[in-house]
Amino acid sequence: MVEQIPNINLAWLVPAFPLLGFLVTGLANKRLKHNQAGIIASAMVLLSFLVSLVLFFVLRASGQNEATVTLFNWISIGGMNIPFAFLIDHLSLTMMLIITGVGALIHIYSIGYMHDDGRVNSFFAQMNLFTFSMLLLVMGANYLVLFIGWEGVGLCSYLLIGFWFKNPAYNYAARKAFVMNRIGDLGFILGIIVLFFTFKTVTFSEIFSQAAGFQAGAPVITLITLLLLVGAVGKSAQIPLFTWLPDAMAGPTPVSALIHAATMVTAGIYMIARSSILYNLAPFTLNIIIVIGLATAIIAALIGLKQNDIKKVLAYSTVSQLGYMFLALGLGAYSAGVFHVTTHAFFKALLFLGAGSVIHAMGGEQDIRKMGGLRKKMPLTYFTFLAATLAISGIPPFSGFFSKDLILSKAFEHSIILYILALGGALITCFYMFRLLYLVFFGEQRLAGAHPHESPKVMTIPLIILSVLSVFGGFLNIPSLFNGDSKFITFLQTAVVSKASEELSHSTEIGLILGSLLLLGLVIFFAYRTFVSKSIIPAKDEEPMPFFSKLISNKFYIDEMYTAVFEKPFGFLSDFFYNKVENTVLDPAVDEIGVTTARVGALLRKLQQGNMSFYLFAMVAGILLFIIFILIV
Amino acid sequence: MILLVILLIPFITGLLLLPVRNAATVKQLALASSLVNFLATLSLVFTFPVSGYSVSWINSLGVNFALGYDGISLIMLLLTSLLFPFIFMAGLKREQENTNYLYALILFTQSALIGVFLAQNAFLFYIFWELTLIPLYFILLLWGGDGRRNVTFKFFIYTLTGSLFLLFGIIYLYSLTPGVHTTDFSAFSQLNIPVNTQVWLFWVLFIAFAIKMPVFPFHTWQPSTYTMAPTQGVMILAGVMTKMGIYGALRFLFPIIPAGVLYWQNTVIILSLIGVVYASVIAFRQTNLKTLIAFSSMAHISLMVAAMFVLNYYALQGLLFQVLSHGVTIIALFYIVMLIEEKTGTLELPQMGGIKLLAPNMAILFLLVVLGSIALPLTAGFVGEFLIITGLFQQSIWFAAIGGITMVLGAIYMLYAYQRVMLGDKKVGFGNITDLKPVDYIVLIPLITIILVLGIYPQPVFNLVEASVNTMQNLLVPVADVLPALPL
Repeated sequence: MVEQIPNINLAWLVPAFPLLGFLVTGLANKRLKHNQAGIIASAMVLLSFLVSLVLFFVLRASGQNEATVTLFNWISIGGMNIPFAFLIDHLSLTMMLIITGVGALIHIYSIGYMHDDGRVNSFFAQMNLFTFSMLLLVMGANYLVLFIGWEGVGLCSYLLIGFWFKNPAYNYAARKAFVMNRIGDLGFILGIIVLFFTFKTVTFSEIFSQAAGFQAGAPVITLITLLLLVGAVGKSAQIPLFTWLPDAMAGPTPVSALIHAATMVTAGIYMIARSSILYNLAPFTLNIIIVIGLATAIIAALIGLKQNDIKKVLAYSTVSQLGYMFLALGLGAYSAGVFHVTTHAFFKALLFLGAGSVIHAMGGEQDIRKMGGLRKKMPLTYFTFLAATLAISGIPPFSGFFSKDLILSKAFEHSIILYILALGGALITCFYMFRLLYLVFFGEQRLAGAHPHESPKVMTIPLIILSVLSVFGGFLNIPSLFNGDSKFITFLQTAVVSKASEELSHSTEIGLILGSLLLLGLVIFFAYRTFVSKSIIPAKDEEPMPFFSKLISNKFYIDEMYTAVFEKPFGFLSDFFYNKVENTVLDPAVDEIGVTTARVGALLRKLQQGNMSFYLFAMVAGILLFIIFILIV
Repeated sequence: MILLVILLIPFITGLLLLPVRNAATVKQLALASSLVNFLATLSLVFTFPVSGYSVSWINSLGVNFALGYDGISLIMLLLTSLLFPFIFMAGLKREQENTNYLYALILFTQSALIGVFLAQNAFLFYIFWELTLIPLYFILLLWGGDGRRNVTFKFFIYTLTGSLFLLFGIIYLYSLTPGVHTTDFSAFSQLNIPVNTQVWLFWVLFIAFAIKMPVFPFHTWQPSTYTMAPTQGVMILAGVMTKMGIYGALRFLFPIIPAGVLYWQNTVIILSLIGVVYASVIAFRQTNLKTLIAFSSMAHISLMVAAMFVLNYYALQGLLFQVLSHGVTIIALFYIVMLIEEKTGTLELPQMGGIKLLAPNMAILFLLVVLGSIALPLTAGFVGEFLIITGLFQQSIWFAAIGGITMVLGAIYMLYAYQRVMLGDKKVGFGNITDLKPVDYIVLIPLITIILVLGIYPQPVFNLVEASVNTMQNLLVPVADVLPALPL
């Protein structure tokens, strides 16, 4: 029996604060003054962050690697014991700190961003509910508690995408997100059920300790990992379930930053990293993850090249970066995937909040073709955005460099082709990000009549903090190449079992880094020449385009394909069942039987005179007789 | 004795109400009696098990007036006595014609339902089974909406036909009992009927229950009946009557003709799963909100039927849990449907929209019920459906996968309906819609609280039915060897 760590039971406070915030801001919605909800909600997330920090030190001081905090027995029947319990270990602590830390910054930013919205109180209630669910997701000590959070964040995502519910298109986007996630969730829940029948438990620690008894490639483990993967693909917007994420940009920008960039969409990566021991036993599934991740990374990056909506560019870039994280998972480098989750949370949240600041300043305009020249008007936003762009492009020493380089070198170890494809995707990323940067902040202002201005402090201070994290966040894990000791990866080792792989020699690694830096430099130069020197503005939507450009700017017609293959036939099937099967076959068939009976019934009907009192009388009399009968006989 | 009291409270109240002319008094008395009934039923939970009540009755036929219950009956009784107060509250502050008759009929229905769940022999069961139909028939016929004459007639004939088969089955079983004939369930279950007989007897007995639940393709009375029925009528139908079908099947089929059940097991499961998908797909394109929810209810019930025929531990636990969960959720849904119709004057989805702008609190409560209906974790629906899918999985992964499709399809049509009603911009002419009244909160908040509490802490319900489930799940085991091959 592991000794109980003092104070570790405080863990329940971490999700409790945002839950409390949700209840207060939700129930007292009407009574709260403007801004009060925002302050309460932000304070709650900040408190969660502080408790998470305390837990971090408590666990470190105890010298143990993990602790389970059980609140109560949720479901306990016939050999199925599912406690409502939290697992505090290095992986969950990492995620908790990201969620509450970045989350608090985004909450604070939202006080400024949502200031003029009439339903700002509801907004904060839903944001807190999201934070609560997300914390359940990463803190759950078994798959079913994880699943509570998993579906909970899906719900909040639905609510917040459709936050401006007057617009039918936004509602459609919200519903699309929820349904696509639910498709994944069906796979996930089936996976949990297979897990249960295989291991007789759904608790992580019990499953992982039993997993050693299975051979690598055991069919049941492959089945489990594949089913869980379906869930992860839905939640983390991978091919083929990725089209909801770009549409999810219908939500307010802080929502995109928190849910659709920094936290929720990384849940799939978290879940697979959490299940690393199972995935190590399923080489087949890992190969599939590599293919899915790489394909998503490249296809989404390609689409990103031709997007002209500032948030859509970032959305596709998120899909693409999630693809890189999947690639890392598929390579068995789970910790590298989680490291990229961390740095990505910093720089992508920053990019979205920066975009929000720009949109705010442009009075709601999101088309980058109409922006330009904002560098001078909003220097703070510009510099923070620049930092994030450098980070996501993988320029040293910004944070993205360290995490992306880790993934690339793992890809190189696996195969040179994988490396070339992954690097290709990274170059495309660099190009579309600088395209975005140049079009928004350089050149001349193109929208007449707009008066862009720097955002208020409540928005810029979170930007500054996030840019510090984006710049220096990579130092969490300095590899041995730079005389570091890979702290982050080592930290995670107690919770995540990465597949063993050979280290690259330092000379090879330096060669790879220098090569890719050279290429990145060329890409940035090329982008500068196109969008700044020649000041080429992307064509209007209606202008004719070459075939490939057209294909890309129409997102490979994937949405259209889904409509044709799933949505339309589904509607058709629904009509067919109702009009043909139900109303032409089944119902008349029964009526036919009914009519025959009715002829008999017609005779009896003569008894009916339409007098209700008579019916009642007959009935009551009958029942009374019946009772008297009981008593007498 | 307490069983007799529980059985008679609604009936006697109904009788007393008949001459009362003041509508408000009628409603208050009915509500009060249903609350007393609920407390009396609840007392059974804490004194479980209470000895049955039995007096000899028709000696020549070997029939006693015997009441009793086990864990399964108890769940059904709890559901009934829990839902009826809400059914009565649904009428508070609303104009209704001939209130005294209506409420008397509802109370008679309640007594008959309770009788079904308490009956210890097939004869008594059958009498109560038929008695539920009569008051309900009048409720539908006299207080129903458009087309009530034809629809009610169809409903009546449909269910009556099923009942005739059941009656025949009961008489046949009766004739098989050795010595002095009897209709006691306990005697029926010791009959050891030849396997070949069980195979055909299965359908004779099952058809009545299949219609009541309903199971595909015996469901065609349901959508039109639900759509036309007055709110309180549809609440009884969807909330309790469907469970009566489930209860009947559990009582008659599994203990008495286990080999017949095993023989047809996969057939019925497949029919049910067809029903799940069929009803869910149809629901998506319905324009009438009430019809949409009727099909959604059919999908959920079909999943429960599939679970029943899988008959393993998890499926049964899930089924009985879902009995409660579905009852509470569907009542809340139909209450909201009523509110929407009152406020907008229509049930046609294309004519609605933007109500959230005018009635934000109603939108929130509606959404919460919708979430319960699509089985979001921490609602009761999730616990029930998770266990059911787990049980289905034990039989076949494909059963589980198809049953699980409700999770996806349910989300599609329920969120679609929610969006059409509540979201979007408000329609012209909806200007004077107001938000919920106090009475609406009194109905909806407790229902939603039950949905959430059962979802967060389901354990008491599991414990209540544990013993019965353990008995039940073993019923099919001894007959597994003697079974002829299924000609499929």
